[in-house]
Amino acid sequence: MCRKDVDVKRNVLVFGVMVVGIALLLWAGWHNLRERRKAMQEAEARHVVLTPAKPGDTAGLPAADDSGMPHLRGKVAPDFTLATLDGKKVSLSDFKGRPVLVNFWATWCAPCKVEMPWFEEFQKQYAAQGFEILGLTDDADAGNEAIAKVVKKSGVTYPILLTDGKVQKAYGGLDYLPVSFYVDRNGVVVEETAGLGSKDEIEAHIKKAIASGAAPGTGGQ
Amino acid sequence: MIRLGFALAGLLMAPLGQIGSLDAPAPKPKSYVVYSAEQQVIAAGKKSALELHFRVVDGFHVNSHTPKSELLIPTQIVLQPAAGVKADAVEYPTGTSYSFSFDPTEKLDVYSGAFTVKLPVVAEAGAHTIAGTLRYQACDHAACYPPKSLPVEVLFTAK
Repeated sequence: MCRKDVDVKRNVLVFGVMVVGIALLLWAGWHNLRERRKAMQEAEARHVVLTPAKPGDTAGLPAADDSGMPHLRGKVAPDFTLATLDGKKVSLSDFKGRPVLVNFWATWCAPCKVEMPWFEEFQKQYAAQGFEILGLTDDADAGNEAIAKVVKKSGVTYPILLTDGKVQKAYGGLDYLPVSFYVDRNGVVVEETAGLGSKDEIEAHIKKAIASGAAPGTGGQ
Repeated sequence: MIRLGFALAGLLMAPLGQIGSLDAPAPKPKSYVVYSAEQQVIAAGKKSALELHFRVVDGFHVNSHTPKSELLIPTQIVLQPAAGVKADAVEYPTGTSYSFSFDPTEKLDVYSGAFTVKLPVVAEAGAHTIAGTLRYQACDHAACYPPKSLPVEVLFTAK
């Protein structure tokens, strides 16, 4: 066999090995792609979205942004009448002419329980300016005993109200907690927050609600 | 010839590059917890531990099975009985300590990222499916989400 024939055979062998190698790579890529798509479909079928869709689909309710936060800033706070733990009825309109913090919370919400003692402190601090806080429990099914336990542990003395399903919708759906609305003396929401903020931020919002609106005795919810 | 081989290789590699681009990361999901159902094989008639793999999406955490407050909702799996399978109590992983930045004194016990729950079983030979539900309650660094239930199916074969 001449040298040229040997070279040709070697080249054919090298080429053959390359083709086989590339074919294996292609197959592996295709197989991997198919498995990943399958896994993604399975995962998609099983996932639970914790940040639900915008609640603005329902007519008459405040629309929310991508974070699920309703847009109530600059609007009149929706009125409500809810029961306290001992059955007493309390309405937002009862506090007409006074700045009010409407805070939604739940017993399972750890950050809610961080800020509740701060609220209590601020209510005492700004009581002279007429400032009031209403704590709306978003898990009424937890039972009065569990709710009362958290309230006691937090040292909260402001009214705790049991939600009725309607008030959450009126305030935008409340996909997560805590959510707070700072309402001025005219009943207008001057600030809204979702999630735990710093104590300083909360105090700044309270001051804003107190400063905003007409003097006591005029306007209101 | 070798040059021809490289040229052909280049042509053949082009579609591979396209496959790679199809694998580009999907848009980041907002937030969810995923259960990975994987077929498992155990020894028939012998005590074995099935593994249930979960993943909490980055940026979120869920309470562990033993949160530090009775008022927090623990992560818990409820499984339905399955024919030919005797299951013992579910074994949960230990959680990790977590505090919200605004209140470092309050310590929580949570799962984040991947966590695995073990289910000791003794099963008859054959294919089995155990259905159940993972109940959990998730939070991010500043807010919490209502409790959720995630359906799970444990698929395994005892040989």
